[in-house]
Amino acid sequence: MSTTYVGVLELAAGAVLLSAVMTLWRRSVRAIVSMLRLQGVALSVVAVDLALHEHEHALLATGALVLVVKGVAIPALLRRIAQRDPRSRESRPLVNVPASLVFAAALIVLSYVVGTRITALAPSVVTNLAPLGLATVLVGYFMLVTRRHAVSKIVGLILVDNGIALMTFLLTSGVPLIVELGASLDVLLVVVVLQFLMVSMRHHSATDRLTEMKALHD
Amino acid sequence: MGLYLAALGLCAVAAAAGALLPRRRRVTPTALLGALGCLAALTAALRILVTGDAVTFHTAQVLPLTGLSLSLDPLGAWFVLTSAFVGVAACVYLVGYAREGLASRTAMAMFMVFLLTLVAVPAASSVMSFMFFWELMALSSLLLILADQSRHPEARSAAIWYGVMTHLGAASILLGFLVVAAGGGQSFSDLSAQSSAMSPLARGIAFLLILLGFASKAGAVPLHVWLPKAHPAAPSPVSALMSSAMVAMGVYGIIRVGRDLLHGGSVWWWVVVSLLGVASALYGGLHATTSTDVKRLLAYSTIDVVGLVLIGVGAAGALGDSGLGSVAHVAMMGALLLVLAHAGFKGALFLAAGAVERATGTRDLDLLGGLIHSMPVTTLVVVVGAGSIMAVPTLSGFSSEWLLLQGLLHGFGAASTPTVIVVLLGVVALALTGGLTAVAFVKLVGIGFLGRARSPGAAKASEVSMSMRVAMIWLTGAGVVIGLVPGLLVAALDRAAATGRARDAATGLAHGTGLVLTGLHGAIAPAALLGGLVVVMVLVGVLNQRATQRRVRRVEAWGCGRDEQTPRMQYTATSFAEPLQRVFADVLRPQADIEVTHVAESRYYEQSLAYENRVVDVVEARGYRPIIDGVLRVGRGARRLQNGSIHRYLALGFLALLVVLVVA
Repeated sequence: MSTTYVGVLELAAGAVLLSAVMTLWRRSVRAIVSMLRLQGVALSVVAVDLALHEHEHALLATGALVLVVKGVAIPALLRRIAQRDPRSRESRPLVNVPASLVFAAALIVLSYVVGTRITALAPSVVTNLAPLGLATVLVGYFMLVTRRHAVSKIVGLILVDNGIALMTFLLTSGVPLIVELGASLDVLLVVVVLQFLMVSMRHHSATDRLTEMKALHD
Repeated sequence: MGLYLAALGLCAVAAAAGALLPRRRRVTPTALLGALGCLAALTAALRILVTGDAVTFHTAQVLPLTGLSLSLDPLGAWFVLTSAFVGVAACVYLVGYAREGLASRTAMAMFMVFLLTLVAVPAASSVMSFMFFWELMALSSLLLILADQSRHPEARSAAIWYGVMTHLGAASILLGFLVVAAGGGQSFSDLSAQSSAMSPLARGIAFLLILLGFASKAGAVPLHVWLPKAHPAAPSPVSALMSSAMVAMGVYGIIRVGRDLLHGGSVWWWVVVSLLGVASALYGGLHATTSTDVKRLLAYSTIDVVGLVLIGVGAAGALGDSGLGSVAHVAMMGALLLVLAHAGFKGALFLAAGAVERATGTRDLDLLGGLIHSMPVTTLVVVVGAGSIMAVPTLSGFSSEWLLLQGLLHGFGAASTPTVIVVLLGVVALALTGGLTAVAFVKLVGIGFLGRARSPGAAKASEVSMSMRVAMIWLTGAGVVIGLVPGLLVAALDRAAATGRARDAATGLAHGTGLVLTGLHGAIAPAALLGGLVVVMVLVGVLNQRATQRRVRRVEAWGCGRDEQTPRMQYTATSFAEPLQRVFADVLRPQADIEVTHVAESRYYEQSLAYENRVVDVVEARGYRPIIDGVLRVGRGARRLQNGSIHRYLALGFLALLVVLVVA
């Protein structure tokens, strides 16, 4: 086993989680989208690295797909939404930034506690990294719950999806291309639909903040 | 078995035809296919009842994992006979009835599916097959109740009541079967073998659970609340099927499980069944007398008859366990014959109620009257049906209630006290409901069909289409035959009642035209009775003519010297039942509102006066309302969680995920 392979894998998987935590830290919507792009690229690096090591061409294609959809297409779409209002910021999250980071740390600890039981089933260098994926899922979900800006919510959703993808790459050495294709295109579709919704939402109520939509219920 | 399977196949084809044929050519072919299927089932059931040989059938298809198991023995065949007998009439009736309403794809297909399940349930011989047909029966009948909801908005609430009750009932039955099937295996023969090894407590629990489900389907008080709502709301041929065949399935279930699968068990089981029967008979009879809606009256009278049947089944069980096997056999035969007779006359009455509603646009007795002139056939059907249900000698209700009464009367010699009490209560209930039923049906005939029309709709009524009349006459005619020559059915009845029990050869019924008990004292010959009756009536008529050679003078009855008589001055259904309502006020709890509006200038003159009198179902108001209100309160409490904040919803989901991660 080459040390380069392991080193790259650990670095990329770590980058996925790190970028997830960074999205909690940054307030500017543009910065959050850049973090998402970084995460997409890191995820594709994980897939490509695994593919090169295991000589799996299908996984290589999956990696390329991830790069195109999650590293390029989705961030580009979100950036377009963000550019309509360049100063748009996640101004008042429900949980403030320092507290969020503490929470994120707690979630990461939790996922390691829980994840060791999963990795214990088939311990190896690769599966040992699986808790990173779980942590990304939890951080993404946390973002979904606590952030008010619509774009932040979409990003949270994609973080959850990326975390799941990371876990599947690490635990199963890559999912069939067709599954990943389905999941990625689903997420892309969700982003497109949400973009459409946001445009009409802004048109109607001149705000991106979901809290202010509360009066519409019933 | 071939003929029986062909019957099921025909019903299935009819269902497919109902779903696929275009609207214009849908009704007649579908209904005729269904009628043909029912005729085939009728023949197959009769053949089994005549030969006494059970037939079985198993296929690995249709149901996953277990396959479909059918087995038709004489007891099942008796109930197939009952369903098919009414089914033929309902299908023929449908040809004329469906033209206005009920011709939709769903309604026609569901009608045939309902028919199929009614014929199939008594033949199912494994838990899976039974529950499959049972639930399909519930589902199709539920949809049929809703078929006419545009004209009857109350059908929606009725369907909810029915859906909830039947669902709880099915769950209870399934739980009971689970208790019995705990040892493995799911065919009825496995269950029967295992139940012998079960402890009495476990068997008792299983029986109570299953009884709960079947009694709610049979409409036994206090589980009857859905019945007086659902039967009137459903289209008439469906009400006829529900009231005469589906309700009988509840009785079938109790007999099959209690006697056959659980081998009779203890006396207290049957005491419970009898008490349910007594309560239903009295409560149903009382409410029937005060109902003014024709179909509601019929629905309550169904509860009444089911009560009598349950008294017979309970007495048979209790007597059998007290060592009076021969008397028990007679009581069981009475109950089974009553099921068949009830199917005939109640089916006919419901179909007639549908005809009246079609012709006059109302079911309210207080708006009917004078139909004997415009609808003679329907009136004849109602008169014969009413006579049967009142157990007028020579009609079908009489033979069956006579057998039932014989079973009860001979049971006084039982050794165990609970059994004697059950028998005593049964006799009292039978006597009292006999009177109540007479009031209810004299009211139905007298107010609804005699006198003068009370509304423009009733005045303009005309006789319904040929197919509807043929269907009613088929049921009535067959009922008359059963009543006049009950001896025809003796052998079949004997076999059906003996299923699942050691046969006691000493007693039963002698073969012949009438009913003659062997081993016990008792015999009737309805045909001879009718002959005697006719002779006496002719004699009285002739003598009357001779003795009174007076000129006939025609005047208005009860004219009281007034010039102008309006139909509103007639006796109404409400006023007819009023004395009885007063006597039983403690049970019925009638509510009356009088609203008086005074003229503005003076308090001594009234501008208008509104009077409303209604009888609500006490069991529903006192027993079910509090439970429903409690559930609604909990539901409203849960709405506090749902405040419209998306963050809260997401946070709840996140919290749940964390809890699962930590706990797992």
